[in-house]
Amino acid sequence: MIRRPWPMGLAAIFGWTVLSAQAQPQQPPDPATRAFDLERRGQHGAAAEIYRTMLANRPADLGALLGLERSLAPLGKVAEMVPELRRGLASDEPSGALLGIAVRVYAVAGLADTVRRVVDRWVTIEPKSEAPYQEWGSAALGARDRPQAKAAYRLGRERLGREALAGELAQLATIESDYDTAVREWLVAVEKTPPYRSAAISMLGQVAVAGRPTVLRHLDQANSRPAVRMAASLTMRWGDPVGGVRRIERAMPLLADQSVEALQDGLDELRGQPGREFGMAKGIALELLGSATPAQATRYWLESAQAYADAGDQGSARRMLSRLAADPKASPTMAASATSTLVTVLVAEGKMEEAAKQFGQLRGVLAEEERAGLQIRLAEGWIRAGKLDRAEQAVAQDSTVEGLAVRGRIRLYLGDLGEASSLMRFAGPFAGAREASVSRTTALSLIQVIDEDSLPALGGALLKLERRDSLGAAADLETVAAGLPPDRGGAEVLLLAGRIHGGLGSRSNAERVFQAVGGFKIPASAAAAGYELARILVTTERKPQAIALLEDLLVAYPTSAVAPQARRLLDVAKGAIPPG
Amino acid sequence: MMDRRHFLELGAASFGAATGWPRIGAPHRVAANFLVPMDEAQSDHLKAYGLAYRLLARGGKAEWFLNYRSGSFLVPGDSATARDAALAGVTLEPVDDATVFQIKAEIAQANMDAVPLEKAPKVAVYAPPSAAPWDDAVTMVLQYAGIEFEKIWDEEVLGDKLRTFDWLHLHHEDFTGQYSKFFLNYNGAPWLQEMVERNERMARKLGFKDVPADKRAVAFAIAQFVERGGFLFAMCTATETLDLALASEGVDIAASFADGSPMDGNATAKMNWDRALAFQGARLEQSPSMALYSDIDGHQVNSPDRRQPLGSFTLFNFSAKIDPVATMLVQNHRQVIPDFYGLTTSFMKNRLKPGITVLGDEPGAPWAKYIRGERGQGTWAFFGGHDPEDAQHQIGDAPTDLSLHPHSPGYRLLLNNVLFPAAKKKELKT
Repeated sequence: MIRRPWPMGLAAIFGWTVLSAQAQPQQPPDPATRAFDLERRGQHGAAAEIYRTMLANRPADLGALLGLERSLAPLGKVAEMVPELRRGLASDEPSGALLGIAVRVYAVAGLADTVRRVVDRWVTIEPKSEAPYQEWGSAALGARDRPQAKAAYRLGRERLGREALAGELAQLATIESDYDTAVREWLVAVEKTPPYRSAAISMLGQVAVAGRPTVLRHLDQANSRPAVRMAASLTMRWGDPVGGVRRIERAMPLLADQSVEALQDGLDELRGQPGREFGMAKGIALELLGSATPAQATRYWLESAQAYADAGDQGSARRMLSRLAADPKASPTMAASATSTLVTVLVAEGKMEEAAKQFGQLRGVLAEEERAGLQIRLAEGWIRAGKLDRAEQAVAQDSTVEGLAVRGRIRLYLGDLGEASSLMRFAGPFAGAREASVSRTTALSLIQVIDEDSLPALGGALLKLERRDSLGAAADLETVAAGLPPDRGGAEVLLLAGRIHGGLGSRSNAERVFQAVGGFKIPASAAAAGYELARILVTTERKPQAIALLEDLLVAYPTSAVAPQARRLLDVAKGAIPPG
Repeated sequence: MMDRRHFLELGAASFGAATGWPRIGAPHRVAANFLVPMDEAQSDHLKAYGLAYRLLARGGKAEWFLNYRSGSFLVPGDSATARDAALAGVTLEPVDDATVFQIKAEIAQANMDAVPLEKAPKVAVYAPPSAAPWDDAVTMVLQYAGIEFEKIWDEEVLGDKLRTFDWLHLHHEDFTGQYSKFFLNYNGAPWLQEMVERNERMARKLGFKDVPADKRAVAFAIAQFVERGGFLFAMCTATETLDLALASEGVDIAASFADGSPMDGNATAKMNWDRALAFQGARLEQSPSMALYSDIDGHQVNSPDRRQPLGSFTLFNFSAKIDPVATMLVQNHRQVIPDFYGLTTSFMKNRLKPGITVLGDEPGAPWAKYIRGERGQGTWAFFGGHDPEDAQHQIGDAPTDLSLHPHSPGYRLLLNNVLFPAAKKKELKT
């Protein structure tokens, strides 16, 4: 908003300096170069003196006046250059740039009447220019004088016509929460200069929640192309991404040839935003974009299907993929990608037979890496379906670390702890996604302390957990734990049961189980159970008990893996650090 | 703070002997001594100060080894200290008497000193009763370290309660009574309305005609506290405005929104700097809408034209045996610390009174960051900036979580000030 000619002045001086240095490498630096160098080193007072010396000889030297203004600004002494400025203005027919300096300096010096006279003088030289009013308004805003800034812009509007200074008036109105004026002026500004759109959205995007309906109402009333596009972008920015895309969809007849650009703007707005709603909005926008651009429809629809699948809307994803599969114009590569995505969607929906069929038709044309990835997904799907034999078949030939990891999980769920442990060790700690890797490491640490090589009851309980039967899993784990010595897996298995109870929100069960684990006095599990119990106590506002428990835990198990978290929880319980 | 025994009783009542977490035994000796290292070996520098403070509060004794391993502490090797360290996550190193003897021999021959710490200072924080616990850096670090303090405000200060404290902290209070000059820019904000209402009510209650008059009286009471031998530590805008309030007796330096009359146009010339603690000859900011007070601050964060970028400041090295006070105040495991803004960020050196000690500054810059001086029997320290771990703190920002900054060198400087009054006075040579 504040337009300052300094960058241009700096560039001019710097460019001139370089040329000068190249032309006369042996000459001592001229005053302008010395002054600029002093400025760069932060010696503003010394720089200002040199500029003053230059101005004594050439009072209208624009570079020196700009330099003096720059040097005095950090010292808070801009007002002290009024005498030099007056001499500059008196010496010659002043340029717009010189008058711009005058406006800024007189404004800092608090000489409001003089500022007005300078602006009038500038207007006589450049009667069609917005610059005098912009500089005046900007200087007034710098002095926190909004009424003066508004007066400057309005005078300009009066003299130059209804489109003049719309951006400035819009920004001012936005700051003042005058949303009626703000929307009206922003629309004028965007119509006249389309690049203003991003500034308009950025500023209106910061409007407080209470003012947003007013902004949208004014935009809806305007019912113009810029209004629709701004309303869509703002709706997305304010947390309703699907609503924003639907606005574009509804306005496509009005937007006509701007529809594609509007959808692409919408996608830019959605890019990088996490969450289901944003994923859905992306899917819808890409679907619309595909329909609006037949030549690129297959690419956009494939991306749309992926976005829908990522957002968990498998139905919409499958609809897009079927549309693609039926598209005779789709290239073989595109069709393979579509089918690959379709397999993923089918697995996510639990339609394993259909997924396996699609995969069987496709596997010959897939690249090795893609094929291996889909096999893993199929195996995981079969695990979730409880068909461990089919899962094992899917990855039987897979010797990648990811394949070994999945085979280890299958063996674990079958209760074959010995083989599960070997396969998981082979897979190592880094195979697969981070979540799977953490889960595998946890499972490995659990079965390592158990003596038995085969424990189908434990495998069955963990499979229930995998299949999201958490309640059943917790009950089964408690039963398994009861049959194991506490120091040979009993405490660890029971701790897992307690964590599942806690995750299910069953606090009483969780507390009961964690207290039982503590009673075993096995250091690692007792410390972890104590920490989990303390978390429940803090959450349920039983802080004195939590503090006592955590203090005992830290003293008894100072080197436990949970000690740092326990210490932090102790700080939270005591109010020594902010909650959250 | 709640009683430890109370916690245990509650815990036992709820969980009883069925739980596996052991109970605590009676205090006993577990080592001859513990060294609390304050160099890179320390796992929580900030809580180490709390450990030393609580030891003193229990009636124990400690020694502060100035410049030895970045200002380490020697504490008794008892089970209570060991337990406290385990809870706080503070690193202890058991040392026998022979090792202590060797350390002291090393201290005797180098720029180091051993200062006995004898009594936990009674700490007051000047803050309105409704201030959130996370409002200022010192409150946050005292709570994090586990150092007890009491909040006091105008009524307690003017009611002479200050006499009962050893150490007083001021943070972002505006002693010119102008609400940090946020009045015009944040007009209508609920927090500001509440602040204005609360201050006006207090001024009326105490019989002052307006808030600036009330705050000036508070400033004088604080200066008297220092003169009587108190320790004052101020940060952020409290530093600058305290001195402005002290130097402006009989001069209207407050804008009309604060006292109904505009600031005296000739206020700068009428200031009596003899009364101020640290500054002299400053030029006052006349604009009521600029959240700036004078040219004391080098960074002028709220002036678009004058704002200076942040750099780093360097702590000075003092002679521990000759100037233990300054040495204590700069004990740190870092000598160069990233700077941070506040309403008052730094202090222009050309505005410091003669005799003020600069404890830290930005090399080559015309401002100091950390200064100290004396008044009467007491001593004061001023530290510019708002939050050492939030360089550009804004109104409404989330509070700093110090458990994420346990080694903060900036916060260590605050805690040096808290323990400084615990040092045995005969050892203080300045």
